[in-house]
Amino acid sequence: MSSNSKDLSNPHLALSPADRTTLFDSDRWRLRLKGLALPVLIIVFLEIIVRIGWLPAYQMPAPSEIALTLGDLAEGALWKHISASLLRVLLGFAIGASLALVFAAWVGLSREAEAYLEPTFAGLRSIPSLAWVPLLLLWLGIDETSKVVLIAIGAFFPVYLNGVAAIRNIDRKLVEVGHMYGFSRRRLVRRILLPAALPGLFTGLRSGMSLAWMFLVAAELIAATRGLGYLLSDGRETSRPDIVLAAIIVLAVLGKLSDGLLAGLEKRFLAWRDTFNGTED
Amino acid sequence: MKPALRFSLVHARHLFSACALALGLPSMVLATESPPAEVHLDYAYYSPVSLVLKHFGYLEKALPQTKVSWVLSQGSNRSLEYLNSGGVDFASSASLAAVLSRANGSPIKSVYVYSRAEWTALVVRKDSPYQTVADLKGKKIAATKGTDPYLFTLRSLQQAGLKKDDVELVHLQHPDGRTALEKGDVDAWAGLDPHMAASEVQAGSRLLYRNPAFNSYGVVSVTEKYAQEHPQAIDTVLAAYEQARTWSVEHPQELAKLLADESGLPLEVAKLQLSRTDLGSPQLTAKDVLASKAAAPILVSEELVRRGVNVDQVIDQLLDTGRQQAVARQ
Amino acid sequence: MPHALLDIHVARKTFATTTVLNDIHLQLQPRETVSLLGPSGCGKSTLLRIVAGLEKDFEGQLLSHTEQLAFVFQEARLMPWLTVQQNIGFSNDDHYDRAWVAQLIEEVGLSGFADALPKALSGGMAQRVAIARGLYSRPRVLLLDEPFSAVDAFTRMKLQDLLLQLAERHAIALLLVTHDVDEALYLSDRVLVMDNRPSRIRQELAVQLPHPRDRRDPLLARLKALALTELHRAHVI
Repeated sequence: MSSNSKDLSNPHLALSPADRTTLFDSDRWRLRLKGLALPVLIIVFLEIIVRIGWLPAYQMPAPSEIALTLGDLAEGALWKHISASLLRVLLGFAIGASLALVFAAWVGLSREAEAYLEPTFAGLRSIPSLAWVPLLLLWLGIDETSKVVLIAIGAFFPVYLNGVAAIRNIDRKLVEVGHMYGFSRRRLVRRILLPAALPGLFTGLRSGMSLAWMFLVAAELIAATRGLGYLLSDGRETSRPDIVLAAIIVLAVLGKLSDGLLAGLEKRFLAWRDTFNGTED
Repeated sequence: MKPALRFSLVHARHLFSACALALGLPSMVLATESPPAEVHLDYAYYSPVSLVLKHFGYLEKALPQTKVSWVLSQGSNRSLEYLNSGGVDFASSASLAAVLSRANGSPIKSVYVYSRAEWTALVVRKDSPYQTVADLKGKKIAATKGTDPYLFTLRSLQQAGLKKDDVELVHLQHPDGRTALEKGDVDAWAGLDPHMAASEVQAGSRLLYRNPAFNSYGVVSVTEKYAQEHPQAIDTVLAAYEQARTWSVEHPQELAKLLADESGLPLEVAKLQLSRTDLGSPQLTAKDVLASKAAAPILVSEELVRRGVNVDQVIDQLLDTGRQQAVARQ
Repeated sequence: MPHALLDIHVARKTFATTTVLNDIHLQLQPRETVSLLGPSGCGKSTLLRIVAGLEKDFEGQLLSHTEQLAFVFQEARLMPWLTVQQNIGFSNDDHYDRAWVAQLIEEVGLSGFADALPKALSGGMAQRVAIARGLYSRPRVLLLDEPFSAVDAFTRMKLQDLLLQLAERHAIALLLVTHDVDEALYLSDRVLVMDNRPSRIRQELAVQLPHPRDRRDPLLARLKALALTELHRAHVI
């Protein structure tokens, strides 16, 4: 007698408040379980085939071994590496995203600015991340500066692109309402353009965040003394694939957490959107 | 092929070899081995003999029906990575690096010594104020993880009473480490020849600390699987290596020129590198095993290997001293 | 004659090379309701926008004009991120007159929806909010551009009655653009029938019926026939 959540809209009104909460809880848990099903399956599968020997352990360590390594690392240097990486990512992202928002607003609002700036940005945008590395190392050295700049570059372009698109995609009809009220340019931006562009901006921010993590790893693989990318290369150079995988897992978790934070903000600020949410089946 | 089928075939092969060995018929197993279709080797500027081998094509002549391919290695860490991933069949690395790799689970065996050199030291810029290793506390040292210079650095630090966390070790591949030192991005560099010699000659860099005993010898390694399946191929390759080594010993001037040409460095640099390289004894002996065991504790004390690993046992499994006859035969 | 609230003469309005409006003279008295009736593209919306000040590039003059105008568009054009009450008080940012907004919400029949988001409103409800928004600034003239063309016939009739009530209560003049003959006749004191491009006012129909009007009134039917004849003559239909 399982009913999908669509049917709940009627019958649930007839339920007592207590019943209603338990129904919601079980729905939420069911959703979480569905999400966990695939990863758990993969982990169990890997554990079995490594233990049997179908995959050699020196190339693909068993998940249980990786867990042990994570435990070892957690007792020791892992936090030092995590904090080093987090600091770089957050700083780089903050710088890159803020600059991108400023430029996006400028180019989005002004045809003149677009004519001057857009071609240059389009060119810079197509430079792949790894190509920046030797240049930045040469100009800025192997210290924090080159790494944070690389990450900022990575975060910049998605935020900029999405920002410009978001502004250009704003419904002209809404802007006209502002014109009708005689809004000044600044008031127009603040009251109409910015909120209307917010969905696109958030998309850009989330994209920029994930690219920031990617550029972080690129930066740390080349010349670092701490960080998760450093840990990654450590595992590589000393034939410790378990460390490699442990670092990857930590990176994935942190990436997911930072994205989840943005997604949560997005949900909160964009609750007003009237959009397609996927079908139940 | 279905996994189940492949699984049982692999096991069938292992079973067959096991039976053959058990019945004491190694010659029968050898006789059934045909020359491999392909063989992949690495070559490196820190292994002058490999350059000779590649240049004169001794192996290509010895295995006319085999496709021989060469990969340039920038360091022990790269060589061992290629070996573990199947990119090469024969890898040239420092012996201690091979020990580390094996200790961390890579099933490899070292079968030949391509050189015994004093090829690493701690290098500083010519105007650097540092005089001893202890002066490097809290400073930046460029060192390639998983290579002999890295392990040399750790051993030198330990001797000066420092741990690896007392300094900042920057992971850069050997040539990049040299650049970083000369540019001033790092305070010291764990150098490797020929880049180290080049830095001395071309930039006037100074060797802050040298210690021949802290250098490990260079070995050629294969995977265990390869050793089981292609023992004859290994003999052939080692015979070719011997040819190259003999030529090298007999033609030191030409060797220096070849090294200079291949590495793109001046002749003076090549000569400096070769002056501290000994190509005389290619066999792995019990003495080498002891030397490695003496060096191994650094791997444990700096937590480069997993806890609970018996490094002595690892060394015994790694170093194949039984190759003596094969090598001496040539 | 009392001083006209609006007195506009548009000698000519062109878009690129097309002349859209030609010699239009429009007047609006206080509390009067005037409809501009004509086919799509004939320029009636353009005329309305000129009156609203949204279109400044034309040959002609504004002999009399008031700043106290409000505009209601064909679509509600509510800010989707603001609630109903925030939308109504939009012109005053965050410090809108809450009591006045609450009253307007009552008047347009949306009690209880003060904190609803536009996505939760039907087309008719959204248009009510748009009207309330128009009324917020206490205009003397309300300009409406085909305001009910996007809703169904029954909702349309309800909204027309609402509009009349509000205009009466707040003493507002209405200038309405529509292509619906029935709507024009039901709402207006005067109906101006417009031509195709280049457009001019072909005919002015006076509807001298008191409000509230009965949609079944035979006078409306007779006037409708007149309007349709004129439109036919103008090759609009």
